[in-house]
Amino acid sequence: MLEIRWHSRAGQGAVTGAKGLADVISGTGKHVQAFAFYGSAKRGAAMTAYNRVSDSEILNHEKFMHPDYILVIDPALTYTTDITLNEKDDTVYIVTTHMSTQELIESQPKLKGKKVFTVNCIKIAQETIGRPIPNTPMLGALLKVSNILEIDSFKESMKKVLGKLPQKIIDANMIAIQRAFDEVK
Amino acid sequence: MQDNGWNDFEIGSLLRSFNGKAENIATTLQEDRNYSNSNSFTASVADWRIEKPVFNKDFCIDCQFCWVYCPDISIISRDKKMIGIDMDHCKGCGICVEVCPTNPKSLLMYGEHEDEESILAAWPSKDKEKK
Amino acid sequence: MRKMELKDIEVWDGNMAASHAMRQVQIDVVAAYPITPSTPIVENYATFLANDYVEGEFVMVESEHAAMSGCVGASAAGGRVATATSSQGFALMVETLYQASGMRLPIILNVVNRALAAPLNVNGDHSDMYLGRDSGWIQLDAYNPQDAYDLNFIAFKVSEDHDVRLPCMVHQDGFMTSHTAMGVKTLQDDIAYNFVGDFKPMNDMLDLDNPVTHGVQTEEDWHFEHKARQQNDLMTKVYPKLQAAFNEFEELTGRKYSMVETYNMEEAEVAVVCMGTSVKTAIEVSNELNAKGIKAGVVGIRVIRPWPFEKIAEVFKDIKAIGALDRSAPHGTVGMLFNELAGSLINSDSNAVLNNYIYGLGGRDLTKKHIYSIYEDLLANAKAGKLTTATQQYIGTRGPKLEFL
Repeated sequence: MLEIRWHSRAGQGAVTGAKGLADVISGTGKHVQAFAFYGSAKRGAAMTAYNRVSDSEILNHEKFMHPDYILVIDPALTYTTDITLNEKDDTVYIVTTHMSTQELIESQPKLKGKKVFTVNCIKIAQETIGRPIPNTPMLGALLKVSNILEIDSFKESMKKVLGKLPQKIIDANMIAIQRAFDEVK
Repeated sequence: MQDNGWNDFEIGSLLRSFNGKAENIATTLQEDRNYSNSNSFTASVADWRIEKPVFNKDFCIDCQFCWVYCPDISIISRDKKMIGIDMDHCKGCGICVEVCPTNPKSLLMYGEHEDEESILAAWPSKDKEKK
Repeated sequence: MRKMELKDIEVWDGNMAASHAMRQVQIDVVAAYPITPSTPIVENYATFLANDYVEGEFVMVESEHAAMSGCVGASAAGGRVATATSSQGFALMVETLYQASGMRLPIILNVVNRALAAPLNVNGDHSDMYLGRDSGWIQLDAYNPQDAYDLNFIAFKVSEDHDVRLPCMVHQDGFMTSHTAMGVKTLQDDIAYNFVGDFKPMNDMLDLDNPVTHGVQTEEDWHFEHKARQQNDLMTKVYPKLQAAFNEFEELTGRKYSMVETYNMEEAEVAVVCMGTSVKTAIEVSNELNAKGIKAGVVGIRVIRPWPFEKIAEVFKDIKAIGALDRSAPHGTVGMLFNELAGSLINSDSNAVLNNYIYGLGGRDLTKKHIYSIYEDLLANAKAGKLTTATQQYIGTRGPKLEFL
C-alpha cells in the first residue's frame, strides 16, 4: 500500500490532483483511493487530500495514515501547518517553494534529516498554464521522485483525464508536468 | 366497502371514480356514468338535511347562479336550463336560496317533511318594497 | 439522445457513481434541492440532462420538502423518479417520505449520510439514515462507490416491481464514500438499462381513461389496513425480490450482494456489526487478526429496512461476543443496531454477549486502532461469557472513556 498526503489550500487543485493521479494509476490495473479533508471548505483555507494505491482491493477507509509521500503545493503551509504529522522514518517530502532544498530545511528545521525535494510548482504553473494552480506540476515532480509511473505514458493518460478542458490548457499542463519533472531537486 | 377483506383494496392510498374505463366522460351525463362505490356520487347525504330547497320554475330566469354556487353539485341543469335539485346529494345548506336573484325567489327553504304541492300553491308573491 | 462510452473501471467517487446509475436508468423526473454532501449527484444528473445524455425533467424546487413532494407527484403521474439529499434536507423531507411509501410510489432516494445539527456539521454519520428507518421505505446501504453504483440498479429494479411498489433509499457515507474516488467497475449504458428494464406505470394519473385519486384519506375504518398491508409487503415481498435481483445482478456482473454481508464469519468467535465505510475498514482489521489466528469476523448490514431478522439469527448462531457499532447518537438509549440485534437474537439459540459502541459522529475518523480495541473487548467478553465492559461505550471522543449502562 502506497499512501500519499497532499497539503494544499482549497482552490489550488489538490483534490483534482489526487483524483487525477488516482485515475491515471487505475489505468495501470492498480486499486486506488483519493479523498480529502474539507474542513470549512472556503477558498484559501488549508486542507489535506489523500491517495492510497494498492495491488489489491483497498478496504481501509480511515482518514488516518502514515504517508509514504507528503506533497506540499502551497509554500506557506510548510510553516503554518504541521506537514510532518504522522510521518514515517522514510517519508519523502516534495515541497513547492522558490527556495533551494538546503534553504528550505534551514527555514523549517523540522525537515532536517528527512528526504526532502523541492520544486517551484507555483512559478511553473504561472509560466505555463497562466494561473497559480500547482497541482499538475506536482504530479510531474512526484513521478520523478517516486518512479511510480513512466512520464510519457503518464502524460498520455493525463491528457485523457483533462479531456474536457480546451486543448491549449491541456498542452500547457503537459509542459508544466514535464518542467516539474525536470526541475525537481 | 365495509364487508371487504383486510387487503381488499388497490395498494397505495388511491380510489377510483369509475368502474372500468371512463371514456368520453365529459359528454356523458352524471346519471349515465359508471361511478364506482368509492365515488361520492354513489353515496347519499339526503339524511343530513333538516330543511330542503324547493324550486319554483315559474319565477326562474335560468341565470345559473344556484348551479354555480351549490357546493355539492346538486343543482341539475340541462342546456343551461334549471330543471331541479339532486335530492340525494343536497345537504340543505340554503346557499342556492341565498344567491337566487329573482323576486320572489325561485328557490326557498322549507321543512324536510312539508308537502311540495302545498308549498308551491302558497308561494310568496312579489315583494313591492324590494327593487 | 447520446450514449456514453465508459471505461471498464472508472475512478469515481460515490456521488459520481450514483449519478451515472441515475443517468443509465433514464429517470423521467428529478425534483431536487441540493445539499452537501449529496449536491454533486443531482448536479451531475442535471449536466447529463443538459448535454442530452438523458431524456427527462429536472425540477428545481424551494426546499427538500418540495423536492420529495415533486417526486411524489411525478411518480403518481407515472414516471421513473429519483432524487438525492442529506442531513437537514433529509429531516425536512421526513413528512413526505411517509407520503411516498404510504402511496406506494417507487421513488429512489440517494441519501448521502451526514450528521444532524446542532452543532452544524457537514460530515458523515448515520443520523439521517436512522431518522428514516420507520418511514416505510426499503433502505439499502453502500460501503464504497462501487456499492453506491450497483445498489442503485438493484433499488430501481426491486422498488418498481408491481409486487413491491415501495420507495427505496440507497445510503452512502458522506465524504467517506461520496467524495472518495475509487475504481468502479462499470456497466455499459444498454446493459445497465436493460437490467432495470422499462418503467412500467401502475395506477398512474396520466392514464386518463382510468381516472384515479391519489393521496386519499382514511380514518379508523381503513387506515390500519393500509399500514398493515404495507408492513405485510415489506416483510414478505421485498426479501424474495431483493434476493432475485441480487442473483440476477451477480450473474450479470459477478458482483455478489447479500441482505447481511459476512466476512471471516465461518470460524469466527467474535464479530463486529456495522454499516457504511466502517465495514470495509473493519474487514481489513479482521483480515489482519485472522492472519494471526484470532477468529474475528465482520458483519455488514446491507438491507436496513426491511430488517433481515432471520438472516441475523442465522449468521450469529455460533458467535460468542458481538459488538454493535452505531454511527448515530442514540440520545437516551442504546444504538439502533444494538436494539435490532438484541431483538433478532433474544428468541434464538444464540447466547452471545452483546455490547454497543457509538463512534464516528460528525465524521470523526474510525481508525483501525479503534477497531482493534473493540475486538479486544469482544474477545474478553467471549472468554468471560458475560459483559466485561459497560453495555455502551463512546469510541474516539476526547478525555476519559465515556461509557453507559
